[in-house]
Amino acid sequence: MLKQRPFLIETLTAIGLTAAPFVLPHLGFAPNTVNRILVWGLFGLGFDILFGFTGLLSFGQSAFYGTGGFVAAYLLTRAGFGNVLGALVIGMIAAAATGYLIGLIALRRTGIYFAMITVAIAEVFFFVEFNPLSDFTGGENGLPGVPTPSFNLGFTTLHFTNGWSLYQFIALCYFIGVIIALTIVRSPVGAILSAIRDNPLRATAVGHNIHGYKLTAFVIAAAYAGFAGGLLGVLQAFMPPDAFTFDTSGQLVMQTAIGGRGTLFGPLVGATVWLFLQDFLQSALGLGAAWKLVLGVVFVLLVCFLRGGIIGGIADLYRLIAGKRRRTEAETGQEPPDVEDARQIPPAPMHAKEVAHPAYSGPILKATGLTKRYGGLVANSDIDFSVNQGELRGIIGPNGAGKSTFFKMLTCEIAPTSGRIVFEGRDITGLKVTEVCQLGLTKSYQVNQLFTGLTVRQNLTIAALAELRGKFRLDLFRTLSGVKGLTEQVEHTLALVNLNRRADTPVAELAYGEKRRLEIGLALATSPRLLLLDEPLAGMSPRERVETVKLLKSIARGRTMIIIDHDMDSLFELVERVTVLQEGKVLLHGTPEEIRTNAAVQEAYLGGVHGEIAA
Amino acid sequence: MISWPNLVSQLFNGLALGALLALISSGLTIIYGTLGVLNLAHGAMFMIGGYAGFVTYQYTESFLLAVIAGSLFVMLLGVAMERVIIRHFYHRPHEDQLLVTFGLGICFVELVRLVFSSQSQLVPPPALFQGITNLGFMFYPTYRLAVVGIVAVALGALFLVLYRTRLGMIVRAGIEDSVMVDSLGINVYRVFMVVFGIGAMAAGFAGIVNAPVVSLTPGIGDDILVQTFVVVVIGGVGSFPGAILGGLIAGEIISVTSMFNPGYAYVMLFAAMTLVLVVRPHGLLGVQGRE
Amino acid sequence: MTDNLIRRGLSRRSLLQTTAGLIGGSVLPAMPAFAEDKPAIGTYPAGVSGSTAFIGISVPRTGTYAVQGEDELKGYQLAIEHINSGHDLIKKISPKTSKGVLGKELKFGVADSAAKPNEAVQAQQRFISENKAIMITGGTSSAVAVALNKLAQREHVLFVCGISGSNDTTGKDCVRYGFRQNFFGQTAAAAIGPVMVREFGKNKKAAYLTPDYTYGHTVTKSMQDFLATAGWTTVTNQVAPLGAPDYSSYLLNVANSGADVLINVNWGHDAVLSTQQAKQFGVLDKMKLVVPYQVPFIARETGGLMQGVYAATDYWWTIEDKFPLAKMFNEAFEKKYGYKPEWGAENAYVSFAHWARMCEEAGSFSPPDVIKAYEKGETLPSLVGDVHYRPEDHQCVRPVIIVKGKQQKDMKNKEDWYDVVEIVPGEGLMQKPDAFGCHPGDYS
Repeated sequence: MLKQRPFLIETLTAIGLTAAPFVLPHLGFAPNTVNRILVWGLFGLGFDILFGFTGLLSFGQSAFYGTGGFVAAYLLTRAGFGNVLGALVIGMIAAAATGYLIGLIALRRTGIYFAMITVAIAEVFFFVEFNPLSDFTGGENGLPGVPTPSFNLGFTTLHFTNGWSLYQFIALCYFIGVIIALTIVRSPVGAILSAIRDNPLRATAVGHNIHGYKLTAFVIAAAYAGFAGGLLGVLQAFMPPDAFTFDTSGQLVMQTAIGGRGTLFGPLVGATVWLFLQDFLQSALGLGAAWKLVLGVVFVLLVCFLRGGIIGGIADLYRLIAGKRRRTEAETGQEPPDVEDARQIPPAPMHAKEVAHPAYSGPILKATGLTKRYGGLVANSDIDFSVNQGELRGIIGPNGAGKSTFFKMLTCEIAPTSGRIVFEGRDITGLKVTEVCQLGLTKSYQVNQLFTGLTVRQNLTIAALAELRGKFRLDLFRTLSGVKGLTEQVEHTLALVNLNRRADTPVAELAYGEKRRLEIGLALATSPRLLLLDEPLAGMSPRERVETVKLLKSIARGRTMIIIDHDMDSLFELVERVTVLQEGKVLLHGTPEEIRTNAAVQEAYLGGVHGEIAA
Repeated sequence: MISWPNLVSQLFNGLALGALLALISSGLTIIYGTLGVLNLAHGAMFMIGGYAGFVTYQYTESFLLAVIAGSLFVMLLGVAMERVIIRHFYHRPHEDQLLVTFGLGICFVELVRLVFSSQSQLVPPPALFQGITNLGFMFYPTYRLAVVGIVAVALGALFLVLYRTRLGMIVRAGIEDSVMVDSLGINVYRVFMVVFGIGAMAAGFAGIVNAPVVSLTPGIGDDILVQTFVVVVIGGVGSFPGAILGGLIAGEIISVTSMFNPGYAYVMLFAAMTLVLVVRPHGLLGVQGRE
Repeated sequence: MTDNLIRRGLSRRSLLQTTAGLIGGSVLPAMPAFAEDKPAIGTYPAGVSGSTAFIGISVPRTGTYAVQGEDELKGYQLAIEHINSGHDLIKKISPKTSKGVLGKELKFGVADSAAKPNEAVQAQQRFISENKAIMITGGTSSAVAVALNKLAQREHVLFVCGISGSNDTTGKDCVRYGFRQNFFGQTAAAAIGPVMVREFGKNKKAAYLTPDYTYGHTVTKSMQDFLATAGWTTVTNQVAPLGAPDYSSYLLNVANSGADVLINVNWGHDAVLSTQQAKQFGVLDKMKLVVPYQVPFIARETGGLMQGVYAATDYWWTIEDKFPLAKMFNEAFEKKYGYKPEWGAENAYVSFAHWARMCEEAGSFSPPDVIKAYEKGETLPSLVGDVHYRPEDHQCVRPVIIVKGKQQKDMKNKEDWYDVVEIVPGEGLMQKPDAFGCHPGDYS
């Protein structure tokens, strides 16, 4: 949504902020209200990165708003610190540092637990502010007497006092805040944050340290909150204890949801609606205390029916109108991808990751004694398994044979109860899935694990970023196009899985077969040397199967692959050797020919649920 | 005032507070455990229970009727809320569930504020329990003493429902493994509705029973909500015994800290929660299942 | 929050000013070409350029102090009505007043502060920026008063303080632009302390219930300091947040403290609730209760628990037999509102009347001139006799009234809650002007 012409949003923001003092008074906005809206908007920029982009709903932002605000206000009122901007920045740093520490605790859990913990943490801050720290924060009194900023430029002194004069300072802060936020969401980190929101499991599996990125988002949100909190004190000449209350966090959440999450400007719009309604309902309609009820109802309705908030609603409307036009174009221009395409573009084998141990020449993967128990249930028992460099290995077995569990252990999604896994001579037992992926071993999933809110290209970008940038890197101020080799790798993968024409299509609009190819593409984009494919052909039509087998053949060049599938004809055509699992144990290894004729395998399948081997 | 008599008094007072928290939290936790929805309007339910009872008391002057009406009203409100709104959110992300219940909570609070204003309202304790009881080691308001008993009975009733009925079996099974319950061919939606009603009723009942102890204001549920979160996190999300244990622990932490310095009571409470999170992320009696 | 909002919209002048600011980079307010030769400062002269002058009022109408806030608001409304109509009582306090202030009719806006500084500051900022309020008021919480003090100083708009009992309001947080009429921690302690020593004896043990903000801290401190001179000790000081729903833990500590006297500094609904619960936990049977800073309506709301309890207050209506102005005020107030005024209304009324007088004497609304009129320190009439404002800290030197709750059988009517024990003259109660660290700041 934010990926448009360069600097378009920045320019519009600047124009809007400059025009505001000339336009808004005619709409009934007092300068003070506008300043307040901007402070909320700035507060919300960080929160939206956390909630809208990363999907972490925190009800505890007041803790950071208050921390930043009180540190700045304390410096300015009690500590005799004269530089307002300096104090604001120190407040912001303090809030960010607090955010880091709190994040370490709160991010131990996700979802609802995370929300509850943040609520509780915000309350702790409130009580700490009132009691142990009341000498610094003034407790219930707050800190009155916060000065306004002035800058000595040598020849003249700029003094921002109040009203529209202070607006200039706050608007500038907001503008810088917007620029930074835009830069962050357009950076590789921003892309990964969206991936975490959409599918944290897959973001981990393609090799990102999502805990680190979540913590980053948390700290960014805290920093914004801290700076906004400081501005509140400057705006009011007073740092109120209310800044720490749960109500502050609640108001922020509501404003963001009203305005539209994941848009950066949603909180600003929400704050405008909020403060305008507050004034309008109270004074013009004389609703008195009922204004908040009206807001509450509006909020509930928006959450129920307009998930994207006001901005989201407008965007949907725009898309609806623009979409009609696009559809007519599509009918004439674009055709569904053809089977022929796969042959037309014989993609060069994508070079896998550089080998970590060039000298190593043994089996690429060796598992010994691998066992997994769930309570009394044994899913895998004492599996010995070895795959050589460049080999194509198939794994078959009736349902419940423990194939998927076996794969999960190999990719370190789950830890084995006992046994060892050695990848390229390195013991990877007990490592995390992210690290293993970074080493060059990954998997495509049996059930699609895509980033459903993003386009095909964005999906592949996220996977490719993991390989190009490592599992964690804080390049917040780099653009995606600044990542060396990213475009090539994404384009190459697109070609490889034959989705070039669908590159900018949202995942939700893909056909099933295309999603399956993207699923493989996600694994491929990390340039694994060992690729595990869990039922890549599942659910495909015969035509799609043919196409996918071709695809798999083409990607097999230069890399090692292990494939689980039930479609034996396809699988045997593809692989050189096959391992048969039964009841969690290895029944035998052999060439496809040996397996096809083996009596024990026949028995296993005929005795089992499936009888496909007979086909 | 650190002294043995005071410690005993505070421990006793903590029991009273803890029992109340346990009841409210168990409502929150069984809803969450079964439906997977964290009801941020739970505090508002507590508050509405108090007000519904208050209105009934105004008309009937009977405390017993007030308790019955307060609980039933909140139960019906819970059922209605589940049918009309919550039901449509089971398949939406957790964040949306949080947002909608949060918004509903605000609507409830503000609606009550509109009708009853922000002034505090008083529900006098029933004549039977008025006055002061000398427990020997301390004086204690008779009604507060009665509250401990009433809440204990309510928790007992909830226990019977959860552990001795078919519904309770389904609810507990659902907490352990919601997929399994789905596949048992049980009409989950009806179960969900009933569970939501019972959970809300627990809060409403606590609200009216607690009303004579404190004065009623529209915002009374907000603080309670946060405290129940702490209780639930300490005890383990979705665990009924956890809610009781967590409630009692929370009550005692608040009271015993109060003996040294009441200002630190909540700081200590949240410190305890943090400790539990670090040591046992799923809570003292929590199950691994839900996240 | 605002009940009475005047039509909004920015004047062309301020818009031009902004334009100039944005284009030229100069943010110094442009000097308006007004006929008056006084320099523009704060909302002067913009706020009084028409036929009216605007006052921003923020009182708590919800929350812990709501009941007291409403009473206070009635006092303000009555004062404005009297000033605009040139009522006799106003003329007794401000002889130069005819109608309005300097011929300008007073308008006002009311906002609910909920006793929260943040709400009050937000509302007053709007009154200042949108309505060009020439004077702001508000209180019933010293936290609010202190915050508005600072806002007033920064915005250069006069702040005539409402109920505020903290020593800090005219102590360490005093400002040039703020004035306080009513009694406060120091004078309350100095007035009620001797009565307590006389009544309960020396070397007693006291327990305190203190609300956790500037009012509570300073009142408790003043009481402790004074009583220490008579050998009293503090056995426990239970500090509770504003608006605590339950005092059981605090009261258990008090009950087990072995104190002789419970000094309840809580205020508003907190005072009512904590006193009622003190009764429930048997505390009031074990020790004597003292309320050092009287809470309007507490006697009625606690349903008789104030019987025999000593309290210090700014005003109690039964002094009308000694003070004719008090009688006039009581009658006018009761006629309009149907009950006897409490001290919140009295303070509101008198502080407005004093402000009107100072404006008339200065002959201008220009804040520095009005401030200087106050700072002359001349003797002024009030409802409790002659008073004056100290130029150093802008605190009114005025008597403190010690009352004692009547037994029910002695009450002559349903509002006859207290006996007036003593009217303690103000001079002897005051600390030295700089004792609480007052540095009022500049005039501009």
